[in-house]
Amino acid sequence: MRRERYAKLQHQLEGQELDGLLLLGTGNVAYATGAAAPAVDSARAAFMRQVAVVRPGEPAPVLFTPYPDGAPSDVEVHGPLYPDLDDGAAVMADLFAPGARVAADEVTHPMSRAFAGLELSPASAVLGPAKLLKTADELECIRAAQHLNELAMADVQPLVRPGVRQVDLTARFLRRIFELGADANGIDPIWQVMPPTKAEGPWTTHGDIAFPTPSSERVLEEGDVIWVDTGIHVEGYASDFGRTWICADDPRPSPRQHDQARRWREVVEAVLALCKPGVSALELCRAAIAANGGTKPWIKHFYLAHGVGTDSAEMPLIGTDLGEAFDEQMILEPGMVLVLEPVIWDDGASGYRSEDIVAITDEGWVQLSDYPYDPYETT
Amino acid sequence: MVRLERRRRLFDAMADHDLDVLVLGRPADVVYATGARQLWTSGSRPFGPACLAVAETGRTHLLSTWDEGVPPELSHDDLYGLSWNPANLAASLAKIPGLSSARRVGTGSLSPGFPRLIKALASDAELVDGTPAIWAARVTKTVEEIAAIRRATAVAEAGLAVMVEALSPGVTERQLLAVYVERIASLGAPTPPSEAVATITGDLVALDAGAMVDGYEGGAAGTWTTGGERVVDERCRASLEAVVAACRGGATGADLRRAWESTGQPMPAVPLVHGIGLGMEPPIVAAGVGDDAVLAEGMALSVTARVDGFVERELVFL
Repeated sequence: MRRERYAKLQHQLEGQELDGLLLLGTGNVAYATGAAAPAVDSARAAFMRQVAVVRPGEPAPVLFTPYPDGAPSDVEVHGPLYPDLDDGAAVMADLFAPGARVAADEVTHPMSRAFAGLELSPASAVLGPAKLLKTADELECIRAAQHLNELAMADVQPLVRPGVRQVDLTARFLRRIFELGADANGIDPIWQVMPPTKAEGPWTTHGDIAFPTPSSERVLEEGDVIWVDTGIHVEGYASDFGRTWICADDPRPSPRQHDQARRWREVVEAVLALCKPGVSALELCRAAIAANGGTKPWIKHFYLAHGVGTDSAEMPLIGTDLGEAFDEQMILEPGMVLVLEPVIWDDGASGYRSEDIVAITDEGWVQLSDYPYDPYETT
Repeated sequence: MVRLERRRRLFDAMADHDLDVLVLGRPADVVYATGARQLWTSGSRPFGPACLAVAETGRTHLLSTWDEGVPPELSHDDLYGLSWNPANLAASLAKIPGLSSARRVGTGSLSPGFPRLIKALASDAELVDGTPAIWAARVTKTVEEIAAIRRATAVAEAGLAVMVEALSPGVTERQLLAVYVERIASLGAPTPPSEAVATITGDLVALDAGAMVDGYEGGAAGTWTTGGERVVDERCRASLEAVVAACRGGATGADLRRAWESTGQPMPAVPLVHGIGLGMEPPIVAAGVGDDAVLAEGMALSVTARVDGFVERELVFL
């Protein structure tokens, strides 16, 4: 898997006539090197960075890391760099020859001073095409991460009863993922109580639903509609778990709530019916809208679907404010991963949201997620 | 009122550094400027304009699609929503009063495309390093900030204690992590500064637990046997104490390094000393970096000694 990914990066560097790729972002370094590192807060991630360098023609990436034990044996490993400090970045000036054309994902001010002679361009032009299509091994990693995430959620779901706090659910979830063998947690788990109407929820810039908002010590009550969203990492790959649950000792959705879940399923079925190589993302959006009676079944600031890989949301992004022209040129290919997350909202009766993950195959698609929709009936 | 004091310090620092606008992207900087509660994700975030502080108006503008978790001193007009489309983001930012006429715009970091965005939004502005102003504000702590670090340390100690209780021959690092995260989450602080909390070397277990409360980090560490007995290595303790004794206003990173090396230990690659506040902060003293850092009264520091599988840690408030 690492060799295949590295070959893709080499291919992009050569095709774009670049002299190097310089990566500071956690998910990007994981992609380029396969190096494992503990999950850390963003501030720690900034000062105790892993830095990856890929040069065209070189047999392996170079990794500068505070966590050398996590580096694969075929990676050239060095001690950590400190790109956020002037004395740390000064060392980095020697990484590339003066005048070199280098794609980078972040350029700290100390780096900017140290790199005065370099021609810098966005790393997304190199990483984007490489990360878009997953290899069979990558798909297995996503499936494994998702499976482990789902096992942990199966232990959490029975706890969603009146009187439980959001952080109690988090506590159980985090303990379980590590008992089950997760490498890292990716996001503070979300257990958001959805209001009956948009107006009863937080004010938003666009008038649509506020989601996802952070969890707290809020106590859940009988009948609360809970939108859950969690994500972990296994072998560097992210999972993405989304479901709607109801807080109750014996949760029994109303007929209207069951209907919301069925409509959600109809949207997903309409999209999946089109999922095969050659179909555009715009066609998926139109099918989803048609299945929802002409209204967009997703939140304005998000998407109908997004990819997942070493980052929890990556290309292809489908149905965003990048616009129809962007969606139209995004053509499905084997190896693309879609996290489908339509939202059904009935103002006055709250809504339903779940996430299902599929990978595009030569013939159509294959499912990577596998968790029941209980207590909702979707058929 | 920690928020108002932080805000005052940030705008004072902008004035001292002659900044008309400060563009922040790192979550900790955004918390410092606004006090807004943001969704925590692990690892680094790509740098982008998550918050703008504008000197002319005295307002801070925040990338947030909703007002939940946003303090009342930010009005709805101060919020701009999430965009995936750079053109839409630029259009939102263009509406911020005082940005287009700015002469000097400081940023917390850069990406290769970022100077173009700033040029489009503030055509006459000089783009400069905003981090000296950010750290001038952040690096010394108020009494309330120190209290928050202490509250976080109390949670970290609870996380440490539950790991100690779980020690037994054959225990794994991941099992210890599992009980630690469960404990800190149940105490309302589910986001660890680092998931690397336990390192087992033979019969020794080095435990280094952190916690974050209201954005502020605390931590506690020590060494136990796998049987649960606290063990203190004299060299490790002496090295720690030598560095702690050297931590005082006016001392340099080189002074701290020499204090450590005087005990015969080689400089560790990971930081020996770092600032602590809204997570890890400067000054950072490690092998190859930090000699020129100067300590000042009001700083909060974390000093960690690691020797042959042993760990000792102390927080120092100057």
